[in-house]
Amino acid sequence: MLRKLIYLNWSAFLNRLTNFQSFLVIGYIIFLLILFSNLLGSALVIVLFDQNPMVTSQLPWLTDQIHQLIILIFANVLWILHFSFTSTRLLNMQENRKLLAYGYPVKKLSWHLNLLGFFHPLNLIYNFTWLAFLLMQIQNLMYIPVVITVVLLNYAVIYSIKHRFLKIVEKRFKIIIFSALFLIFGTIQAIAIISRQFEQIIVHYLPSIEIINNYLFYTPGGLLQYTATGSYNLPTASAIYGFSALLIFMIFRDHFFKTREGLQKPVRERNIFKRNKRWYYLKKWLGHNAGKFYYYVFSHSYNRLQLLTIALIPAVYIPLLLQLGNSYYSALLIPIMLAAIPVALLAMGMANMFGYENKEFLLHKQFPVSFEKQLKERFLGIIVVPLLIFYLITTAEIIYLPQLGSVIEIYVANTFFFVCFTLVFLWASFYYYQQVNYSSFSFKHPIISQKVTFMMMFLIFGLGYAVFAPLGEYQVYRLWVMGALIIAIGIYLWRDMDLLVRAFNRHILHKVWANSGQ
Amino acid sequence: MNQAIQISGLQKSYGDTDVLTDFDLSVPQGNIFGLIGPNGAGKSTLIGILTGLLDYDEGKIVINGRELNEQNELMIKHEVASVLQPPLLFEHFSSHDFLHYICDIYEVDSKTRQHKMDSLLEYLGLTEFEHAKINKLSAGSRKKLSFCAAILSDPEILFLDEPFESIDVISIGRMKTILNRLQQKGVTIIITSHILEIVENLCDDIAILHNQKIIAYLDSETRKELQKDASLSEIFESYVQVEKPKNDVLKWL
Repeated sequence: MLRKLIYLNWSAFLNRLTNFQSFLVIGYIIFLLILFSNLLGSALVIVLFDQNPMVTSQLPWLTDQIHQLIILIFANVLWILHFSFTSTRLLNMQENRKLLAYGYPVKKLSWHLNLLGFFHPLNLIYNFTWLAFLLMQIQNLMYIPVVITVVLLNYAVIYSIKHRFLKIVEKRFKIIIFSALFLIFGTIQAIAIISRQFEQIIVHYLPSIEIINNYLFYTPGGLLQYTATGSYNLPTASAIYGFSALLIFMIFRDHFFKTREGLQKPVRERNIFKRNKRWYYLKKWLGHNAGKFYYYVFSHSYNRLQLLTIALIPAVYIPLLLQLGNSYYSALLIPIMLAAIPVALLAMGMANMFGYENKEFLLHKQFPVSFEKQLKERFLGIIVVPLLIFYLITTAEIIYLPQLGSVIEIYVANTFFFVCFTLVFLWASFYYYQQVNYSSFSFKHPIISQKVTFMMMFLIFGLGYAVFAPLGEYQVYRLWVMGALIIAIGIYLWRDMDLLVRAFNRHILHKVWANSGQ
Repeated sequence: MNQAIQISGLQKSYGDTDVLTDFDLSVPQGNIFGLIGPNGAGKSTLIGILTGLLDYDEGKIVINGRELNEQNELMIKHEVASVLQPPLLFEHFSSHDFLHYICDIYEVDSKTRQHKMDSLLEYLGLTEFEHAKINKLSAGSRKKLSFCAAILSDPEILFLDEPFESIDVISIGRMKTILNRLQQKGVTIIITSHILEIVENLCDDIAILHNQKIIAYLDSETRKELQKDASLSEIFESYVQVEKPKNDVLKWL
């Protein structure tokens, strides 16, 4: 039975792989390997570096207590990363539940889906890192089953919390945003204050490190650390083991029942949904086509979360970088991040565009409105909103961050950055159309996948370095080159937008027609 | 009699597979025209071509006196509406918003559209779903909603691809009433369906599509003659000449 399930999902995965997707998968695998080696390497270094005589001689201030503090901080950072990046998605429920009609018992299917969810590469990486990190520190063999059980319990608890967290975020989206922003700004200010007065703070708190360590042992990372390094006897170990095992059993049983319920009772929203003014205003401001597209985009909670992420990352890092003063890194990273915001919005729009191009287009094609006009309106709508954000950010940069460069330098650099990515995304669309692969993102899951995010980050920072790195007296030549390219790309985009219409009609339409079940 | 649709020499293939070969058909204006054929005969492909969703390799198509080409495409689309199988709807709209969207596209008069919408929804039993999201509706309700959208656009030619499948008996009766009223207004209606009893009762002329072309055209006179001795189903089987299976092919059952 499990083989049937694996075969179904593996076939679906292979079916979706185009050359481009394969490239992304390889990139994603490399990313995972880098992540794994970084995590495991950091864990090894942090646990073992105090035993290296060279290190102890270089860092005379490294006492046992400070080492303990570093380990506890690492454990908590690892826990936060684990919480943030644990994959809670089971395999495609909609597809896999069809197996119920082909002899797959619902209990087995539920159990197998949860089992396969555990084996997601990210989950394996983090759980293995925890095991390695903790098992390296044990003094007694009886700690092994305790550590293993507690790591599993940690995974189960994170999984449970995240599911509920996502539901809470959906329901109380605005409160979550404001709370998150408040917390983040507070944290940034705290970091800024500490970094400015690092020595005074360290000297003041050094005698209290043991107390701080004692408090940190009650944090999630600290509790995990305690299972490996705490002193407890066999009865205590047995109690921890037994209690953890019981909790794991109960939590996974809860997941099992929820999955079974999900398989047999697909979620039904209320039949009557609250009418809001969003559609009315979107239609009014952006027109029937772009308005409808954005209405669809904002209907999806994943997109709202993505928007939050796009807003939060610069909101966290830019103030932090500003605190660094006028260093090379802040001069480079700040403009890149600001320029990347409209690009990320554009990517989000284009990602949704791919998934949106489904059989609904067949109805659009029947309308007595030129299809070319509909498609162009939609694409222009996707570009207009990020363009507006782009102008706002550029204006703010010119006014509030004059240290980044002159008005013309900021304006030309940002514009060049934006049009380059507009071109890349349109080329990607055209490439997809020609390959008759119009949808790499499902509308049900429009979230940009990690492998695409990884590649985009690489491109953003790569191009950002080329555009924003200070060049001294050669700056003016770069400005001329960028200016000329902006004009060329702009003319190309304006003149050749109809390439997409032709490519769609020639290549995609048949596939959409066939896939819609006609 | 004027022809609403005239097709001559139509050729359509998907790669190496021919779907329609040297296809000719004329549909009289104001006719309720039935198009029947076995699965995979090309009925849906033909409707796709006539509604502008699919291109074709060769041939000439004239709709309401205008040749179907790039210049006339938008004018033709103003006059044509369709209900396809499965129906094409905007899944994330409510029924209400979807119908208003369609009315905006087809420039239905804003003063009368709400009344028309309300009366259609009530007549077809969809009032309770007016504010429900389309992706939550059952197959039958979606089909009826698509039908409402087609009627609201006030077409001169209406294509209905298997319009009665998944629909309850009462709604079928009401849809037939609407179609008869439309016919009285001069609307040409082309229906494909596998429910031959309905096609038999509703349609004026019937064409049988098989082996990439029309193999039989039964106008009302011809039908009267033939149906003295046989039902439409029997006539269909005689024309299509499907090979009878061997007697023992299902002996394991």
